[in-house]
Amino acid sequence: MRRVAVIGVGVTKFGKHDRTSAELFAEAARDALADAELPPSAVQALYYGNVVGGETEKQLHTGPQAASVLGIPTVPTTRFETACASSHAAFRHAVMELAAGVSEVVLVGGAERVLNVPTAEATEYFAYASDAVWEQPVGLTFPGVFALIARAHMAKHGTTEEQMAHVAVKNHRHGALNPKAQFQKEITLEQVLRSAYVADPLKLYDCCPFTDGGAAVVLASEEIARQRRRGIWVLGSAAASDSMLMHDKRDLARVPATERAAAAAYRQAGLGPEDVDVVELHDCFTIAEIVATEGLGLFEPGTGGLAAEKGWTSLGGKIPVNTSGGLKAKGHPIGATGAAQIVEVVTQLRGEAGPRQVEGARIGLTHTLGGNTATVLVSLFGRD
Amino acid sequence: MAATEPVITLKNFFERAREGALTAVRCGKCSALAIPPKEFCESCHQRAWEPVALSGQGTIASYTIIRVAPARHAAEAPYAVAVVQLKEGVSLLGRIVDLPLDKLQVGLPVKFRPLVVNSQTALGFGPA
Ligand SMILES: [Zn+2]
Repeated sequence: MRRVAVIGVGVTKFGKHDRTSAELFAEAARDALADAELPPSAVQALYYGNVVGGETEKQLHTGPQAASVLGIPTVPTTRFETACASSHAAFRHAVMELAAGVSEVVLVGGAERVLNVPTAEATEYFAYASDAVWEQPVGLTFPGVFALIARAHMAKHGTTEEQMAHVAVKNHRHGALNPKAQFQKEITLEQVLRSAYVADPLKLYDCCPFTDGGAAVVLASEEIARQRRRGIWVLGSAAASDSMLMHDKRDLARVPATERAAAAAYRQAGLGPEDVDVVELHDCFTIAEIVATEGLGLFEPGTGGLAAEKGWTSLGGKIPVNTSGGLKAKGHPIGATGAAQIVEVVTQLRGEAGPRQVEGARIGLTHTLGGNTATVLVSLFGRD
Repeated sequence: MAATEPVITLKNFFERAREGALTAVRCGKCSALAIPPKEFCESCHQRAWEPVALSGQGTIASYTIIRVAPARHAAEAPYAVAVVQLKEGVSLLGRIVDLPLDKLQVGLPVKFRPLVVNSQTALGFGPA
């Protein structure tokens, strides 16, 4: 298989926008192409993530629409939907197209628009990623899914609401350093602990916001990457799945798909968790970050809460996690999230992250969850 | 019944649930118990299902109180949802009914009761 590199990245400001998701993607893709020093005509395929366009924008076939708005309507385009992991799944398939020698330059990205509908409506559309027969009629929500995981983790490992709150405080501190983040303001432990319950034991500040935004990365073959100075190698990219239904999961305190995807990505790269310098992982809820740091092997099972409390995952800590602010503070436009995480890790590995730079970062990891933890993607990146 | 006919469909699972009966399927090859519908056994990948009645008795494995609800459940909030581990070993997700929200805890014994939400049959769990 051929080596593949990321040679361009772009991301919109995250937050509320009065533009369609296709427009948001096109802005990010324009920046990614400029960053790659390539014209739109160089793009040979578009792999695109978008999730609830059919609901919030009454728009299906969003892949070709996004390509058309960007100005490359004749490029082969496929939309990926694996809930919140959509553009990371798109990325993995684009890597395979390049590795197989089918194309030399492929654009990957995603976008989402949800702030144009009321919160209860958006909550319902997101719940469509849980099961329509077993889970939606009971009234399960996404905060509810992760609240079930949180309660199980608390019962099994003694994880506390205060430890979860530390994740939110840390990610807001990081987000304050990211001009693209939805929230660029620090919060206190007190604020998190005093915020209202959304789905006990998760409170408002344990939850990521609804977000509009787009992100894009340009992938290229080794030959094209070698002609540039800032290429970042894709060292591994793996996907894993698990039972769709909460009732089929044997241990609610774990995300086995994270463990399987991480093992496969580490194997592809010939690396282990001890080699990773910077991580962007799926903190849709604070407990999700705690469970992911365990599943990725960064900390022993059951100690993710302690790691958050001790600041081991903070900028300047043992292994900085979510330097962008994460989904919690940067925001979570679900179709764009996987690509946006890659944008941050590539920026870090290039040494271009400014005040949130992890000094000397050489190896980076991105991790994205989809739905009730039924989809997980993990990718590893490295610089020369 | 032809071999290609499903043992338990979602439709007849919920028709039985509405009458108060929970039905699982047991693998005739490896004895694994599962909640239908399943085409192949997840453990041995054979297709030899037999319907098994479940007692409906179990304990709360995890629970949450939903306070921000989806649009179609907004009028019902706050309400509790739990994953219940049944004594036979399989689990089911259901709405907690007839139990005070502040009395819920992991390990609390509960019993199945059918529930109709928005004219759709759903699973409920109440006092054991
Ligand atoms: Zn079997």
